[in-house]
Amino acid sequence: MPDIYSTEWYDAVREAINAGVGQLRSVPEGRFIVAVEVAGDGTSPYVDEDGERRFLMEIDDGICLWYRELDAGEDEHGHVEGRIDYRFRGPATVFDEIAAGLVDPVDVALRGTISVRGDMRLLLRNAEHVASLLEAYTNAVSTTWPLGRPPYAEPTESRQMAEGRQTAGEPEGAAARA
Amino acid sequence: MRDVYDAIIIGSGHNGLTLGAYLARCGLDVVVLERRHEEGGGLCTEELTQPGFLHNVHANYHTFVDLAPPQGDLDLAGHGLEYVRPEVQMASIFDDGTALTVHTDLDKTCASIARFSEQDAETFRRLYTEAHGYVNLLLGTLMYQPPMSMKELTRALSVFGVEERSEFLSVKLRRETIDTFLDQHFTHPKVKAHLAFHGAVCGYANDVPGLAMSFPLLVGKIDNWNLCVGGSHRLAHVLWRDLAQHGGVLISDAEVSRIAVEDGRAVGVVLADGTELTARRLVASTVDVEQTFRQLLPQEAVPAELATAVETDLLHQPWSLFSVHLAMSEPPRYEAASFDPDVDRAWVVNLGYASTEELDADWRTVRSGALPGTCRPNAAVNTLFDPTDAPEGHYTGLLRQVAPYALADGGPAAWDEMGHWYGRRCIEAWQRFAPNLGDGAILDWVPYTPADIPRKLRNMVQGDWMMGEVSLANMLDRRPLPGLAQYRTPVDGLYMAGSTQHPHGFITFAPAYNALQVIADDLGLEAWWRDV
Repeated sequence: MPDIYSTEWYDAVREAINAGVGQLRSVPEGRFIVAVEVAGDGTSPYVDEDGERRFLMEIDDGICLWYRELDAGEDEHGHVEGRIDYRFRGPATVFDEIAAGLVDPVDVALRGTISVRGDMRLLLRNAEHVASLLEAYTNAVSTTWPLGRPPYAEPTESRQMAEGRQTAGEPEGAAARA
Repeated sequence: MRDVYDAIIIGSGHNGLTLGAYLARCGLDVVVLERRHEEGGGLCTEELTQPGFLHNVHANYHTFVDLAPPQGDLDLAGHGLEYVRPEVQMASIFDDGTALTVHTDLDKTCASIARFSEQDAETFRRLYTEAHGYVNLLLGTLMYQPPMSMKELTRALSVFGVEERSEFLSVKLRRETIDTFLDQHFTHPKVKAHLAFHGAVCGYANDVPGLAMSFPLLVGKIDNWNLCVGGSHRLAHVLWRDLAQHGGVLISDAEVSRIAVEDGRAVGVVLADGTELTARRLVASTVDVEQTFRQLLPQEAVPAELATAVETDLLHQPWSLFSVHLAMSEPPRYEAASFDPDVDRAWVVNLGYASTEELDADWRTVRSGALPGTCRPNAAVNTLFDPTDAPEGHYTGLLRQVAPYALADGGPAAWDEMGHWYGRRCIEAWQRFAPNLGDGAILDWVPYTPADIPRKLRNMVQGDWMMGEVSLANMLDRRPLPGLAQYRTPVDGLYMAGSTQHPHGFITFAPAYNALQVIADDLGLEAWWRDV
């Protein structure tokens, strides 16, 4: 099983995304670019505390054509022309825990823990496809982590928040997911 | 005067100036034309009472500070724009001497609410926390993008399972009133009254079906009420400065009498003095739909179906605002300060609405063309937070009361007879809560009636300060009319970019920002601005 953010892991995520496209009732037509910015937070060992890791992905008719991790300081427009259609940014711990299936990605977007910028119309109109991308990122690929958990000693704030919701009288569906 | 530009923008309210500044930064040769003697539209600050007292005649409350993309994109702070965010944002003062205050500190707000209902305080904390988390996401989705349909939005909410993840967001909100939302979640009449009052000051009447959809967003920024230091006109001035620094031109006293159309395309404008200006790439109107399509465009350029819709289908807010601007020698000292001392430090103060039923009754009264039986204006003393707006040791005051534009007895013209009488009633209502504001403390005052609004700002048709009803029928891709909702018009090269467009009036910058996205797409402009 690959390390998160490794080439093997991203290849597996990409395959999962593309395998899911055939199951969708509709896929977005045309090409769009997604950027993911994973900010170091001092807990995740995969990103330097004050650093960030940036990834670009091109989707064309629902299929992930390529992904690429940018070098530090590298201009993303060296790889894409025009605007980034969606840009997700958040703390590394949260991205790690989403990948581990511990934190719900829609939840953290609603909380503002992960910011979503860009053409929200595109994102909402292609909600089904976006949901399938999130599903692939969240549940489709295993990592080297034991029991699906990132190798942190203590639960992080985002996980505590997610777990706290289970006892705060939240709807059953949310509690079950958290 | 030069007579050829890339872009001609009609109207220099904050939307016209914002669009002009962005386009100028894109390298276009821009002119913004203003009928009045100065830029700003609703951003007008004038010495209405006495010299040295600066009164915000229209826009007073800036609630999108640090949320609206143009503020960063156009470096408005760098141009000298400064805001104050009062620590005690709002208060409701009730007839029984009790009061509720909203602070920039959530704990203090909850403590104030808890004096009425601990359960409501906890509910408010959860609502605020949830809404504050997604306020940027909702702003990006609902305000700073050309509008989607309600159907598309609700479908996306469903696919993402938002309803299951949120205590307060629900698809059914699109049919519900703010009253219904409040009844479902809150218990105490005064708490509900205050939250409904807050919506009303934002232009969202609490008894209108569908507006519950926006209510969590309103709560998410309930503590983001900002005062523009030096007066609201300062914002217009810095927008103009940015426009000018990037080569744009503002011409005041330049009333547009006609939009020139050739072969179905807007190619320029003709001013009232006969001057002809050519637009190489676009004309954008930020004035009202009626002026644009019934007066400025040649009628043969307007498709018959649209002409009919403009005639019959436009929806205006069925209520307006009556204002009193005051010059004072002391600020109000509320009797309710013995219950909650913070009321004397509050900016926007609800004087007396203690239940949503009282608000509902006044909405019905006002929509029928009558005046509420009891004056319950809201009050603001800007000088408490910006001492530069009055001579030293003195204060400006602003009272606002919901009121009809056309009085059932006499129409809008009747306001000319009633303005001073009704202004006096509003002042008396304030004095009931702050007895120190005797006539000795009030040096001067002037009424500013609903009828005065379109006299000064023609595009606020029928005293409609939101430039279109805020309702389900006039929201998103239906505002102002389905055929105009995406900022384009049937006339090539002519765009609508003012507050008639989604989302609505108020100092949001959003109509201009959204029109910019459409114009950039059409003209192939490079989008240098930051994503929402």
